[in-house]
Amino acid sequence: MDLTRLTIGELADLLRAHETSAQELLGLHLERIDDADGDVKAFLRLTPQLAAEQARAADRALKEGTAGPLTGIPMAVKDVLCLSGVETTAGSKILRGFRPPYTGTAVQRLIDAGAVVLGVTNCDEFAMGSSTENSGYFATHNPWGLDRVPGGSSGGSAAAVAAGESVFSLGTDTGGSIRQPAALCGVVGMKPTYGRVSRYGLIAFASSLDQIGPFTRSVEDCAVVLETMAGHDPLDATCADRPNDVRRGLDAGVRGMRLGVPKEYFDVEGMEPGVKQSVQRALRMLEASGAELVDVSLPHTDYGLAAYYIIAPAECSSNLARFDGVKYGMSDQDAQNITEAYMNTRRRGFGSEVRRRVMLGTYALSSGYYDAYYLKAQKVRTLIKRDFDEAFEKCDAIVSATSPTVAFPLGAKTQDPLSMYLCDVLTLGGNLAGLPGISVPCGMSNGLPVGLQVLAPQWREDTALRVARAYEVASGMRVEPALV
Amino acid sequence: MLARLGLEPGDEEFYAEQLSGILRHIDRLQELDTDHIPPTAQVVEVANTLREDEPRPCLTQADALANAPAAVDGFFRVPSIQEEA
Repeated sequence: MDLTRLTIGELADLLRAHETSAQELLGLHLERIDDADGDVKAFLRLTPQLAAEQARAADRALKEGTAGPLTGIPMAVKDVLCLSGVETTAGSKILRGFRPPYTGTAVQRLIDAGAVVLGVTNCDEFAMGSSTENSGYFATHNPWGLDRVPGGSSGGSAAAVAAGESVFSLGTDTGGSIRQPAALCGVVGMKPTYGRVSRYGLIAFASSLDQIGPFTRSVEDCAVVLETMAGHDPLDATCADRPNDVRRGLDAGVRGMRLGVPKEYFDVEGMEPGVKQSVQRALRMLEASGAELVDVSLPHTDYGLAAYYIIAPAECSSNLARFDGVKYGMSDQDAQNITEAYMNTRRRGFGSEVRRRVMLGTYALSSGYYDAYYLKAQKVRTLIKRDFDEAFEKCDAIVSATSPTVAFPLGAKTQDPLSMYLCDVLTLGGNLAGLPGISVPCGMSNGLPVGLQVLAPQWREDTALRVARAYEVASGMRVEPALV
Repeated sequence: MLARLGLEPGDEEFYAEQLSGILRHIDRLQELDTDHIPPTAQVVEVANTLREDEPRPCLTQADALANAPAAVDGFFRVPSIQEEA
């Protein structure tokens, strides 16, 4: 049996039966990384010493009978989540060498639950991108086709799980950065409701949109990881104090549920016929399982991208002001004055996508343009949120493709930023409205994975997970790592 | 200048062209009548999250300075912020 191809649930059973150990799992995954990651390039850095300590502790817990569902399970962490003492760079040269003095809440909760940290995964610089090609270090390749992108911005985390290098991983989703790479790499990925998981220790991109979430090989695994990370944290004022009920009714099925099919989401620019067919097949399967498909409308879909590309850059231009070469990271020590030091540090440290968004955001927030751009975009955000509120009066969850396309070739969209932005046209609405959304694999098109997206009302992760789980059962879907 | 990005020669034309394309797309927002629509800055219902004003442990000075590119006497060191008189 290849232990790098199993789910958290399956490995937890083997661990508790003492048929394997945390240290053996760690060794096998480091071997797999050694074999595959030269091609996939999912990891920026490995943390074998930290992992070895954690695996030894996990084996003690397993021996003493104090193990939980994540004890001894290998995980990987996106390079935007602070891990105490471990270099964390947000995929940017400007943070090279930065070792955070603390660990973020979500990661700490998983470590406390016994998970073993293999290392830090590649991403687009400051999580800005949809292909992981904007990393300041190197591009990650899709395990299903090495000439293809893994999606982004959490492409390294998605590829690591898809390639059998890690059992699960963490990403962040500001406009689709978990769900889109999950779709393109054929794994499960979930963005929780805004406020479900603490952002403490997450290097901020757009603070009103960012959420941390898991990549896994099954819906059940996704629920386990999310449940472990979720819940109130006094260190993040937007992290809500609500019941941790994400696993409620996971296996209850979809009989009697109403699933909304938004017509606008099936006719977006660039929708590939193979993707549409796979998703329509998945919808028929959910219908055959007892769900009722209802037509809904999200009339402001065409304006979502425009609103998002004001709001996200505006917030990023403010958040990224802190990277000035004074407190951490890259710094020009030879400058004659402070302004020159700022300029030189940021010129050398930021890549072109980050510069583009900082310029766009600074422009949108500048006096004279604020009302026309930022305020206007916030008003359109209200209209988009209302679209979802009205749709959810007619249905329990909304189903669509996650991405209009399968994984595209490396380099295909790097010269045309707008075409790259269009990758997120089906996912960013969920961020603007703060909704939970999950992507599950729903077949292949041209030999590459397709993702089914399920969006649910705020705080109804249970609904999204339940629909995704019902599809997983009905389709017999099993995430098999791509063998590079 | 406002963003302190430090442009290279040629950057201005490169970004101007790309940003114009993006702004052309963004201009479609002006089609919508939003006069009576309130803005949404964030989507959580929690507001005014306050805590007791009690001292708590925080980063030590040494930890806070550990990543500093340059530090002196417990401070972050920066180049001159004023022109010489």
